[in-house]
Amino acid sequence: MNTMTLYVEKDSPVHRLDPLVKLLYVFASIALTYILPEPLFIAGVLFVTLLLLVIGKVFRNSLPILTLSMFLIFSLVIVQGFFHPDNVTELFSIGPLVFYEEGLYVALVLVLRVLVMIGSFSVLILTTSPDEMVERLIKKGMSPRIGHVILSVLQLIPQMRATTSKITDAQRSRGMETEGSMLTRIKAFFPLMGPVVLNSLNETKERSIALEMRGFGSSTKKTFLNEEKQYPYNKLLAGIIIAIVILGIVWRVMV
Amino acid sequence: MNTFELKDVAFSYSPDIQIFDGLDLSFDSRTTAIVGQNGAGKTTLVKLMKGLLKPSKGTLLIDGESIAKETAAQLSRRVGLVFQNPNDQIFKTNVLEEVMFGPLNIGMSRSEAEKAAREALQKVDLESKVDDNPYDLSLSERKLIALASILAMDTEMVIFDEPTMGQDFAGKEKIKAIIEELNTEGKLVLCILHDMDFAAEAFERTVVMNQGEIILDGQTRDVFSKKEVLEKAYLEQPYVTQIAHALGYNESFIHESELIAFLNKNA
Repeated sequence: MNTMTLYVEKDSPVHRLDPLVKLLYVFASIALTYILPEPLFIAGVLFVTLLLLVIGKVFRNSLPILTLSMFLIFSLVIVQGFFHPDNVTELFSIGPLVFYEEGLYVALVLVLRVLVMIGSFSVLILTTSPDEMVERLIKKGMSPRIGHVILSVLQLIPQMRATTSKITDAQRSRGMETEGSMLTRIKAFFPLMGPVVLNSLNETKERSIALEMRGFGSSTKKTFLNEEKQYPYNKLLAGIIIAIVILGIVWRVMV
Repeated sequence: MNTFELKDVAFSYSPDIQIFDGLDLSFDSRTTAIVGQNGAGKTTLVKLMKGLLKPSKGTLLIDGESIAKETAAQLSRRVGLVFQNPNDQIFKTNVLEEVMFGPLNIGMSRSEAEKAAREALQKVDLESKVDDNPYDLSLSERKLIALASILAMDTEMVIFDEPTMGQDFAGKEKIKAIIEELNTEGKLVLCILHDMDFAAEAFERTVVMNQGEIILDGQTRDVFSKKEVLEKAYLEQPYVTQIAHALGYNESFIHESELIAFLNKNA
């Protein structure tokens, strides 16, 4: 069954990284854009992030996500360019509306920051299978319950989609029109949603019973099915990332 | 309706796996059971017949007329399909309303629909539960409600998908009686089954499917006597046939009563 995940299965150095290191990179790269809000510096972080996407062979997969964010980016530039309170130097004007240089500068920082956020999250999400990440987090002490919630949410949506199509078939067999005018669609809503909701509630109950039957709630220490993967440069990479963040803070305080 | 024909039908869910390729099959007034292992294409076949899926090639004909242009909802006046899992359709809070949903959809008036619904519930012996909430009933009772909700639509053809699953002896007898009654009313009855004993007992004709192809088609008695072909489709003969065979009789028995009568005579 296909799950709701953007994960792209490939073999690359980025895929082989420890999910926790990638998670650390997400936080570090975003933090850095706040610690040193200089366009040139953020552009550097963005460059590294995009480089990781290219090394991870997922640059192409990240493009749709970046395109989706264009709307936000575009509105940021417009709002800041026209209306930022520090606006003084005029760049150009459309009728009575004036576009300013200061606003553009602020917008540039914001846009770069957004791109870094999207980029580094893409690195994490596109190159890490949810299973691997959750298992790693549980090994580090996260509650297995939370892990289960994360993974089951990813499965829930495709599962509900499958149930819905089955229910649609059953109701169409009883002469219910599901296509056509708005009114027909509204009328079709309850016959479709009723069974979907009831089935989901039932499934949830049965799933929780099944989990309890297999000792999910037991308080003993759990062992893992998959052998722990070896991540050779783990500590080194984590160290480098933390060092860069500390350096950034020091730089900010000193200069 | 006299015949339902499939001519040279092809269908696939994904381009690389063909489910049907040039399937020819026709149904007539004989009650027909379709058997075959999981994934043989039985449910896909009935979904095509019901207009829920459209074939990529070929035509489906009712009494010689193509049904290509009809939607599933329009076809529901003529062909009824009882789904395997009743939970996929039940949404009303009382049994009568649930059974009336289909008849109202195909344009019956409220009073006609209620009459049809009560009659259908009587056939499945649930007329005492008309005011109950369907979800308070057991799964086998809900299956019968789903069955009644199709019977109430009074279609010319009724297709069952695994009606005996989860039913006890009494439930199976009820379903058998309903199938016979539909047949005497002149309706086409088609049934997907995993239960060979039930197929042997209640159906005149049996079709064996394997990987999207028909490997056996004929009188139920003849079909179930072909042990080797059945085994190729990973199917067993009915128990009565197996017992008779184990006792060393060469005649093919498909009804318990036949074997008992035969044994009594020869004892």
